[in-house]
Amino acid sequence: MSPQPLHVATARPLTFQPLAFPALRARAGFSGFPSPAQDYEQRTLDLNTRLIKNPTQTFYLSATGDSMEGWGIFDGDLLVVDRSVRPRLGHILVALFDGEVLIKRYALHQGVPHLCSAHPLYPPLPLEGTECQLWGVVRAVIHEYVP
Amino acid sequence: MIGLVDANNFYVSCERVFQPELEGRPVGVMSNNDGCIIARSEELKAMGIAMATPAFKLEGLHRAGRIHLKSSNYELYGDMSGRLCQLLRDACPQVAPYSIDEMFIYLDGLDPARCQALGAWLRRRIRRHLGLPVCVGLAPTHTLAKLANHAAKKHPRYQGVCLLHADAADTAALLKQTPIDAVWGIGRRLAERLAVQRIHTAWDLRECDHHDLRRRFSVVLARTALELRGTPCLEMNALDAPRQRIMTSRSFGKPTGVKAELMEALGRHAQRSAEKLREQRSLARAVMLFLNTNRHRPEQPQYFPHAMIPLAAPSDDTRVMLVAVREGLEQIYRPGHRFMKAGVMLLDLVDAEQYQLSLLHQPPRHRHHPALMATLDDINQRMGQGKIGFGLTPEKAAWQLRCHHRSNRFTTHWGELMKAGTHPGAIKACAKRT
Repeated sequence: MSPQPLHVATARPLTFQPLAFPALRARAGFSGFPSPAQDYEQRTLDLNTRLIKNPTQTFYLSATGDSMEGWGIFDGDLLVVDRSVRPRLGHILVALFDGEVLIKRYALHQGVPHLCSAHPLYPPLPLEGTECQLWGVVRAVIHEYVP
Repeated sequence: MIGLVDANNFYVSCERVFQPELEGRPVGVMSNNDGCIIARSEELKAMGIAMATPAFKLEGLHRAGRIHLKSSNYELYGDMSGRLCQLLRDACPQVAPYSIDEMFIYLDGLDPARCQALGAWLRRRIRRHLGLPVCVGLAPTHTLAKLANHAAKKHPRYQGVCLLHADAADTAALLKQTPIDAVWGIGRRLAERLAVQRIHTAWDLRECDHHDLRRRFSVVLARTALELRGTPCLEMNALDAPRQRIMTSRSFGKPTGVKAELMEALGRHAQRSAEKLREQRSLARAVMLFLNTNRHRPEQPQYFPHAMIPLAAPSDDTRVMLVAVREGLEQIYRPGHRFMKAGVMLLDLVDAEQYQLSLLHQPPRHRHHPALMATLDDINQRMGQGKIGFGLTPEKAAWQLRCHHRSNRFTTHWGELMKAGTHPGAIKACAKRT
């Protein structure tokens, strides 16, 4: 039996940590005193509020293909796409290009806006003179290591 | 001012948001069990394919790739409808959903120019943020707003937003062109009776003396005439246009978050809706239910959920509605919210007499009991609303819908998300691999 290498040892598992889940709320108050736990009610971090700023306009898509790996987007990753964001240079976009749904980086190439991949095999697609339509802006990419 | 926001070919438009390749193509959506056409794209309409065309008649065109047929995907449509409603709530002081794809907005105190600007802004915003095309009708009354919306859809010159002033010349011109049965709440039979009195257009009705109308026809018709003149006097739910949708909703006396109480209220609404359905001799294909928290109490957690439950076969059976409502509540219920209002809507109605149980349809789960339903309605009519009803509802039904052509449920199932390729051909290559 080999000892666990130090660098992967974490603090106590998350499940051991006392988190104030809302379910505890109902317990408060029968003695007439407010529960001290009440002060912590809203403190549990919610990933939804962090990643999803506009729930009504947010859709989830799934990435397919390997040519965005250079920007950290892998095949099968979950894309959090916000359709209410105005696209700016540098954003990762979901766009309709030539009848296909593509995920690309909106960036300058030789001084002109292009849809760019992070792969030498796929040259930047020029926006000018093409039927390119914005579908939404990718706000976050979720890569699950342990599915 | 009252506005009516109505999505164009809503079911087809929802399909297109996630399947952009359907844009510009003739697309039809079929009823449950792929029976007949219940929604058409403009391109399909242009081919002369009528509403309610049996799907098997189109099988050839579909196989040849000339048209695209989709099974109804109620989860997707319900989710998009909820988003549409929420987007309007974020922008307007008061919003009331009238059906899955129509919402009234109430813009008291805004002058007409600003209403018009807001209408155009909402239309652009809904198109960009949700991908849905809508038209907006604005007018001083519900009845005129409905006509304004119709005009906005039909005449390109309005660019999707039509504002009607009660006394303007173009309103008069429009009313003169509008056949009487296109007016909200006026069915075919009433239109025939009115034709005998030489009332053929919306304008003819508007010019009638409303006391006279009240004496000879009904209070509702008299009020409709007043509404056409610009005097608001009809509630949104006063006019359930037959064969479209039926809604029953009510605010709770006291806000509640107790599931049993919610179920009780929803059950009551479902029973009442089913009664109205049988009254007009229709069957429903889907049930939608919704709950609202009090948005005027921002310090309380807010939640405006809704659920869509398709029925295995069109039905007017109260018990079927109750099962659907129970299933829907299971889907959306979350503890910790105080709900103000609950509602049940019956959708995609079909004429009971015209509807024939085809061999392809599943037999209904409950043996049909028209006599039981008739007795129930009779007792309730004589003894008062809701005198008797169903206490115990049958347990959860396992719906087995035929839906070979259903597209993915893009917004409600993790395994069915829309795909985005990282380069041209990536999605096709992936499909080949698997």
